[in-house]
Amino acid sequence: MKKELKIKQKERTNPLAHVFDDFIRFCQSKSLFMLHYCTGCGAIELPPAMTSRFDMERLGIQPMVTPRQADILLITGYVSIKTLKRVILTYEQMQSPKYVIGICSCTVNGGMYWQSYATAKKLNEYMPVDVYIAGCMPRPEAVMAGLQRLKDNIRNDKKEHKGSAWKDYFKRYDYYLGNQQALFGEDWQTPTDIIAEAKLYGLETEETYGKHTKLLEKHQTPLLPQEMRIK
Amino acid sequence: MTLLDHLFIVVFSCLIAISVVRNLPIVDKLAPVLYGLILIMLVRMASVAYGGDAYLSSFSLDLLGFKMHWQFTALSWYFAIITLVAALASAVFMSGDWGRQYREGGGNYGMLQLALIVNVFSMILLLGSGDLLSLFIGWEFVSWASFLMMVLSPSKLAKKSAVKYIVYAMTGAMALMVAIVMIYAVNDSLEFEQISIVFAQMSGSSQVALVLLLFVAFAIKMGLLPFHLWQAVAYAETPGPGAAFLGAISSRMGMFTIVLVIVQFIGLGGLKSVGTSFANMQTLLAWVAALTTIIPTYIALQQHDAKRLLAWHGVGQGGYMLLGIIMFDSIGSAGGLMHVLNHASYQAALFMTVVAVMYRTGTSDLNKLGGLVTQMPLTFLVMLIGIIGLAGLPPMNGFVSKWLVYRSLLVNGQPLLFVAAVLGTLGTILSVYKLIHNTFLGQLRLEHQNVREVPWSMLVPMLGLSVIVFITGFMPGLILPWIASVQESVGLPVIAHHLGGIEYAKGGLDMIWVSGILFYGFGVGALIFYFLGGKSKRVHQYDNYAGGHFLTSDVRYHYSNNFYPGLMHLIGTWYRGSFQWLENSIVSVMSFFSVFFENIYRAKQPVMLLLIGVVLALLALYRNLGVGA
Repeated sequence: MKKELKIKQKERTNPLAHVFDDFIRFCQSKSLFMLHYCTGCGAIELPPAMTSRFDMERLGIQPMVTPRQADILLITGYVSIKTLKRVILTYEQMQSPKYVIGICSCTVNGGMYWQSYATAKKLNEYMPVDVYIAGCMPRPEAVMAGLQRLKDNIRNDKKEHKGSAWKDYFKRYDYYLGNQQALFGEDWQTPTDIIAEAKLYGLETEETYGKHTKLLEKHQTPLLPQEMRIK
Repeated sequence: MTLLDHLFIVVFSCLIAISVVRNLPIVDKLAPVLYGLILIMLVRMASVAYGGDAYLSSFSLDLLGFKMHWQFTALSWYFAIITLVAALASAVFMSGDWGRQYREGGGNYGMLQLALIVNVFSMILLLGSGDLLSLFIGWEFVSWASFLMMVLSPSKLAKKSAVKYIVYAMTGAMALMVAIVMIYAVNDSLEFEQISIVFAQMSGSSQVALVLLLFVAFAIKMGLLPFHLWQAVAYAETPGPGAAFLGAISSRMGMFTIVLVIVQFIGLGGLKSVGTSFANMQTLLAWVAALTTIIPTYIALQQHDAKRLLAWHGVGQGGYMLLGIIMFDSIGSAGGLMHVLNHASYQAALFMTVVAVMYRTGTSDLNKLGGLVTQMPLTFLVMLIGIIGLAGLPPMNGFVSKWLVYRSLLVNGQPLLFVAAVLGTLGTILSVYKLIHNTFLGQLRLEHQNVREVPWSMLVPMLGLSVIVFITGFMPGLILPWIASVQESVGLPVIAHHLGGIEYAKGGLDMIWVSGILFYGFGVGALIFYFLGGKSKRVHQYDNYAGGHFLTSDVRYHYSNNFYPGLMHLIGTWYRGSFQWLENSIVSVMSFFSVFFENIYRAKQPVMLLLIGVVLALLALYRNLGVGA
């Protein structure tokens, strides 16, 4: 068991807290907005999955145009190193709780691009992935089944702990950042300050920090919001 | 000496005072005080706006056997108070740092102050007119006063558009003159009451001619279709607060005369008696108004200069005023009259925000701005309030007057006019969104990183006007008694009103309720956002989603150029400008003749002059010789 840092968390005194949590999980699983980052050929399976034949909206899943309002990040196909930077930027801009689905074999292990120098092989080395839907390409039925799996994971998170992979990004940020730095070089930086967000969510652990975050701190230039000023 | 005499004396003394001190630094402090003084004089006459008797002036002028006299009715007072508040706000706006910058930029600041007071003086003179001759004199004064303000800008375009304006204005004045002569020819009298008497005696074709002549004269001033081309460019090119003043009230003098002459003395019966029952004069004027709401508004949508956009809206909103008043019922005419005040308040505020942005950034080009909300939050707030008013949405005052106009069109069985009015509003909403988005929202440009909020001398009038926009929208009952008195004085049915709005058998309006429910909705939203969620985080503008792109200062993602491409694809081909070439050719002919005459009287062509002199002398000699022989 990893030793957690001392974090001030509110003690939950409300006797109905668990009921509320359960209700919130129920609601979350029924209303998911999806940002599909169509990186490869798997994207072609999405139109039938979204439209009248398979109709993912009956599962409560709808496309969304920006990461800020999205719950699911859908990566559909091989991720080249250049694209991966954008995917990570987009992922970090999403608000928690957020879920990642990797569609196609390419996201699992590089697929037919396994030998390419320019693709990232395993997506879950760079960000926590909730569900993989393997296949080249998976049929819409498989996509729907994967989405249903994600919903079940969210719904049953209390027992099975499969629906909160997003917390891992904050808890083990050093690991993910290390993999990212190995690919993109030591001066890699995104606009989002993950460590500050980990503190905000109360999710920082010992593994949040490490030599990679130290490296990041050296060159990180914070992107502070602009002040409203009258004079 | 009546109160009206005092008013005239005070306004005239102010004119003299400002023209004397206009180049001294004290004019900055003096001018707002003087406008405040005139405003106090008007407030002393306020009883006329609450059902009191009209004020008559004890001055009169005998001219060629006519006795010219002046009077102040509720109608005059209503327009005068709008004029003075707009002038006061403009004077305060230009008195501080704006004026300094204008002077340093080579502008003739003293002349601008003088132009403003000359405008106020001439408008008061026009509003106080008591017969057709004094009306005509006031009319000419107002035309030339506007011209004085327009030519102040050093740009060539401003001069050209001012010349264009004066050609239009003189055409209108000639039309008015001919109409006055037509009236005079019948009974040898120039009293206002003669209009209705003469109109009843006239034959059908003379009636058409009289109404058209009067309407052309007033429509040119108001920029109604098809005389809409001069106004927007001329106003937009006027320097800063001058544009705010002209845009707010100057062209509404046309509305004043329409109410004074056409509505009051020709009336619904008169208009309906001209033409057939299917298409009479009322129908014609209503459709002119409806097209004026649509066409200039969609021209505004196409503009990419903020001042031009607003100025075109000024033309378009005139259509609502006429559309309301031409319905001749209590709510429609109240809406049309009220829109004059409402439009003046938000239009002046909006012009001032644009001038404030120009003051800080040096441009009003909507393609070169963006993201200024963090730098100029109060100016943003004023523009937000202003565009809500202009778009006619609650709780601002534009909603009340537009609601009254819509309601009147529906009640009077005019669904097509109603659709036209709604189309105009649609264009307004689209273009005001473009205005605020391209100026204040989106990405801040690098060169504007150090832009600051404008100084208080400019903020105070802007904020004051936006308070008026909100208060008169929240409690229209503050204005409605004035409207009711105006309706009473010009013989229209009087609107039943209370503090929150109107009482009307077919569905009234209570803005206190409407605004209350609106704020209740906002309150619920704020409660959820701030107390139940509470984990919001402000981010930098480069921490934004652009398809996963890493945003940097060298990549512009503020979408401003070619706004509404889909809509423009649909309606873009309609912007042909077929009026424009006709108008350009008229302007060319006029400037040709003016150059010709200028050359003669400035003796730039001595040989020419000599030649003309010799020819005339020879002619005279020949004639004399001929007669002698």
